[in-house]
Amino acid sequence: MTASNVETAAPSRSNTDNLAPRSAVVTGWLADRGIFVVTAVVVVLSAIFVDGFASLDNITDVFNRAAPIGIVAAGMTFVVISANYLDLSVVAQVATGAVVLIGVSNSRGLVVAVLVAAVIAVIYGAVNGIAVGVFKANAVIVTLSTTFIGLGLLRWASGGSIYFGSEGTLIRRFGTFEIGPFPLSMIALVLIALLLEFVLNRTTFGFAVKSFGSNPAAARLAGVDTARVVIGAFTFSAFGAMLGGFVLGAFSNTAVSAMSSGYDFRALAAIIVGGTSVFGGKGSVLRTLLGVVFVSILTNLMVLSGLGFGYQQMAIGGLIVVAVSVDALARKATR
Amino acid sequence: MGGKVDQSPAQAARPLVEARSVSKHFGGVFAVDDVSLEVAPGEIHGLVGENGAGKSTLMRVLAGILNPDQGEVLIDGENVAGGGARAALDAGVALVHQELSLIPEMTVAENILLGSTPSTMGFTNTSELKRRAAEALEEINISVDLDEPVARLSVALRQFVEIARAVARHPRVLIFDEPTATLTPAETDYLLEMIDRLADQGMAIVYISHRIPEIFRICHRVTTLRDGKHVDTVNIDDITPNELIDKMVGRELSGDAPVRSSRGIDESAEVVLRAVGIEAPGVSGVDLEVRAGEIVGLGGLVGAGRTELVRAIIGADPRTGGDVTITRDGKARNISSYGSALNAGVAFIPEERRTDGLALTMTVADNIALPNRAALSSGSVLRLNKIASFAKKLVDIVGLRPPKIENEAGAFSGGNQQKVVLAKWLGREPKIVVLDEPTRGVDVGAKAEIHRLVRELADNGAAVLVVSSDLPELLDMSDLIHVMRDGAVVGSLSADEATENSVMSLAAGGQVGEAK
Repeated sequence: MTASNVETAAPSRSNTDNLAPRSAVVTGWLADRGIFVVTAVVVVLSAIFVDGFASLDNITDVFNRAAPIGIVAAGMTFVVISANYLDLSVVAQVATGAVVLIGVSNSRGLVVAVLVAAVIAVIYGAVNGIAVGVFKANAVIVTLSTTFIGLGLLRWASGGSIYFGSEGTLIRRFGTFEIGPFPLSMIALVLIALLLEFVLNRTTFGFAVKSFGSNPAAARLAGVDTARVVIGAFTFSAFGAMLGGFVLGAFSNTAVSAMSSGYDFRALAAIIVGGTSVFGGKGSVLRTLLGVVFVSILTNLMVLSGLGFGYQQMAIGGLIVVAVSVDALARKATR
Repeated sequence: MGGKVDQSPAQAARPLVEARSVSKHFGGVFAVDDVSLEVAPGEIHGLVGENGAGKSTLMRVLAGILNPDQGEVLIDGENVAGGGARAALDAGVALVHQELSLIPEMTVAENILLGSTPSTMGFTNTSELKRRAAEALEEINISVDLDEPVARLSVALRQFVEIARAVARHPRVLIFDEPTATLTPAETDYLLEMIDRLADQGMAIVYISHRIPEIFRICHRVTTLRDGKHVDTVNIDDITPNELIDKMVGRELSGDAPVRSSRGIDESAEVVLRAVGIEAPGVSGVDLEVRAGEIVGLGGLVGAGRTELVRAIIGADPRTGGDVTITRDGKARNISSYGSALNAGVAFIPEERRTDGLALTMTVADNIALPNRAALSSGSVLRLNKIASFAKKLVDIVGLRPPKIENEAGAFSGGNQQKVVLAKWLGREPKIVVLDEPTRGVDVGAKAEIHRLVRELADNGAAVLVVSSDLPELLDMSDLIHVMRDGAVVGSLSADEATENSVMSLAAGGQVGEAK
């Protein structure tokens, strides 16, 4: 109380803070909770007005398509929250994941395939993380380059061939397995998202990632090992991408190095539309889950309405421009 | 005594530049409060005051970089306030910045004409660019290769290129903000002579400096600012250096003696922090000791190397030489990195709380938990209940208002943000506390609470090292004050010896002898 008494002569700082312009309040609210409202509205309107949307088959299809991108995006959320923009190399990682799952398990069995994928994920995390976290290289350029390296390696190792799973294998069954009405891929998506949400919100590592993303200098001065945070974030992203590749490979029962193009951008769309800030420090994996569901529903609506791939691309691109602008406006308003 | 004229030009001509009742505030704090200033053509007008007195802000208003909240800026009788930097520039006001604003990768010539690059149909006219740059350099009598990238020049030469850049605009009013801070004595001489010459050509010059001898060497009149307010404007012949320093620090020292929490030095206490021969950019060979229960203050002007010193000591920035040991419970540890300093019980409250101290988009609870996260988790899983009660306890101790740990740190006022920074570190029960400008931009009430908390830490046995540009604060808190200038400690004053004048004299390097 003494503070405000002393300050009466001068214009009080707290007063000016409370008088944030209405537009700032609106953009702040939109960035914070917009996705929930928009998703709910779209779902309700679609259920009423779009033929075939509310059918069980269609909903299952939406989740089946959302699952691989959703798992990739859940892992990549760590990179975005650490204020390192995004991990473009998920494109190479998803394809690698699918090829390893089908190719390696065809010849060496599933266990070996999983181990190989895990090692590859660790290598991706280390290379991206060390370049960005230790050498302070730009994340976009580093991961763009590792995408190139990764795809090149994959083409070399696979000889550019397409892999098909054999009938009756575990993978084949995984791709079609359902628990009640829910496909396994959807259950995997939800479980992975919940697990990563726990890591982000309830562990010291997740806490360090958020703090680093919010203010790297303050995090360092509070004793956070910043290199470890960045390497860890890229490693989580890599594991997410590998698992996404597994799900994609199992679902389609094919694997080829070109199968994952556009996954970088689609994952980013889910993360940003969900409301995780590209400026870092703010966001959640569950928001990403919601974002991927929203983007999938939107795509599904366009398919049901007979709008082709070109329209879908335009819609997702436009959506990101809007979401990123709202994010930037909200940040400006709260500064 | 160079070209100083007996008759001040101020009395001969009408002012070329005039600030009338200018006020400017940032947030709740007035940086400049109802200040007027006149400078005549041919006059060199000194502007002095402590750190944060409002000198730079006033000059940025004159140069149109800041719009005043109130008041007018007249150039040759015409009001240019509110017109922005372009209007002030067109009216002939140029500012030589305190921080160098050159682009290192560009050449000397390109830098000099940055913002007014001559062009033909959108293409840079290189020969005209060079001709005009050469002209500006000739006017200040400096010879340097026009095609040399600025990055390859010495700091002093860069300063002169900065001046050439201002001169190239053919200003009528030229403002210098601490131009000699990075110069050697010989370079300073050269600069002062140059300024004299420019004034002789009829320019009106405002000269800001912490260095009192320079003011007396070239200025005709001098204006003193204190806490954003105009104190006095006098002819230089009517004042002595001591009187000028009095005006700068100028608090009524008569009457009630200020209540001080500082006390003597306890020689028997254990030396907790010992730094020997610290070398770092901006710091040359400093030795320092802090005992348990003692608050050691570091005084000096902005740029004296105090922040660089404390950051080098605790390893927050790399040091190029010297050793630091921290002794706890009779066990000495070598401090080689910031991590080892943290492990040894150091808490560091940095100068810039918004960029270094707090994660503004995170909650108060999260900010407080960050340096304490190991203690607040089992395995690596955070214990949210423990974090909440821990944060609650600490915001009560520091008196955060409102005491809402779930609010974002960025939503609080400066004083309350600083309390959150303190709370972060109090939770670790630190044995060595290093504070850099602990109350900058903090209101009076919060300031008193922060002082109380720091004293409590010392009373509980912590060794405290505090950097402050706020003289009364430094005097009030410190049991011992080291004064720094140009990267070295130039004097040490015990609580009894230290006065605002004695600290200021050491800091400014004025030959003003012993203060009473």
